[in-house]
Amino acid sequence: MKCTADIDTRDVEELYINIDPIQAGGRLTVDAQKAAIAYSDGYSVCDNCRKPFRLDYIDKPPIADFHRDCAEWLNMDAVRLVPGARRGFQAVVSSIVERGDPALVTALSHYTEFASLEQVGADIHEIPVDDHHHITADNAAARIEDVTRETGKTPSILFVEHVDYQYGNIHEVAGIAKVAHQYDIPVLLNGAYSVGIMPVDGKALGVDFVIASGHKSMAAPAPSGLVATTDEYADIVFRTTQVKGDITGRTFGIKEVEMMGCTLMGVTAVGLIASFPEVKDRVLHWDREVENSNRVVDALCAIEGTRVESDMPRAHTLTRINTLDSFDTVAKTHKKKGFFLSQSLKKKGIIGVIPGSTRVWKFNTYGLTDAQIVLVCEAFQEIARENGLNVS
Amino acid sequence: MSRRAVDALFQALYLLTDIRFILRETAPVHELDDEQKVRAGKAIEKLKKQVTILEEELS
Repeated sequence: MKCTADIDTRDVEELYINIDPIQAGGRLTVDAQKAAIAYSDGYSVCDNCRKPFRLDYIDKPPIADFHRDCAEWLNMDAVRLVPGARRGFQAVVSSIVERGDPALVTALSHYTEFASLEQVGADIHEIPVDDHHHITADNAAARIEDVTRETGKTPSILFVEHVDYQYGNIHEVAGIAKVAHQYDIPVLLNGAYSVGIMPVDGKALGVDFVIASGHKSMAAPAPSGLVATTDEYADIVFRTTQVKGDITGRTFGIKEVEMMGCTLMGVTAVGLIASFPEVKDRVLHWDREVENSNRVVDALCAIEGTRVESDMPRAHTLTRINTLDSFDTVAKTHKKKGFFLSQSLKKKGIIGVIPGSTRVWKFNTYGLTDAQIVLVCEAFQEIARENGLNVS
Repeated sequence: MSRRAVDALFQALYLLTDIRFILRETAPVHELDDEQKVRAGKAIEKLKKQVTILEEELS
């Protein structure tokens, strides 16, 4: 079905169960879909923008209220909407890291964390994982010591993933933050796979910045996300412009430099805000999501030769699975080669596994209903049996 | 200006969105349980009323 002459209708969420590893938490709520219909025009949230003309001051729709509520929800002091987590990394780094400064990321960091540091010319170093693909406080401490000794400077920032995108493992954030603060290093939490789907308490974790992705985990349109910080850093990262035009003498009020003025001015902002009540509620049911994740993982592990590379039992809905000794053995002789798995799944109403993947791949069960979880479990095992694999 | 037509239009779109979500939560087989059937039925009935208003206002 066509949406326009050249654009297909995107109806995959209505027709299939989608287990794509990065899409699950970003599916809109019903309220966000309705808000998107009403606020689809470009500057749609700006109808009631009054002095001092800034996004986070708008009362109707309730963007100002959202900023206050969201900061409280995350147990942080201040929040701003940004066009994606990457723009949050960029805002923080641009504010507190200078050219040549050492900076720490992890061996599981997203490329946009690296890119935000590369933009300012930072000297980037990684904290290695341990044997279980975890970033630990011990490894962070050792790396801080090494980098400080090698460069003669203490790192200006330490990035840490709450949940990494490769394994979906939950990392030792509170311990890492405690170590970093012993060296006066501010800590940025990448909450792209946690904020909006599981409980996150910034103060309890002891971090200085919480970055979230709206389209990854807050049921919001892309690109959306947020930066949350403490009173200590709010005036630095959310500093207002001081510039003055040398001919015109113009100044620009309370526009924030790192935000480039206003950030999300239409459907992205209102979609994220419309989903917020349901998002606040759904994080309280994270245990149910984890249980569902384990049901699918158990079903997969019952297929001979299949193993999970993520932590077990699962504590998150994003999982990295190794089927080299199961589905990949089928792919070696199957006429459709590695594409047999994604095609077989699609025939059973499931999408989201990268076509051709039969070795190491990822999936995410977040947000599926009980009936859908059962269907996914049965589908994997049926495909295994149909292709001669043993299922215990 | 027909405020009534505009209200009916948005109400219809919101009701269609409710139906869209029933399709999402029951994908791929779309076998509705009793509660979902009641929800779908109510939404469709309300939708018909909004379409009737649109017909009255715009034709």
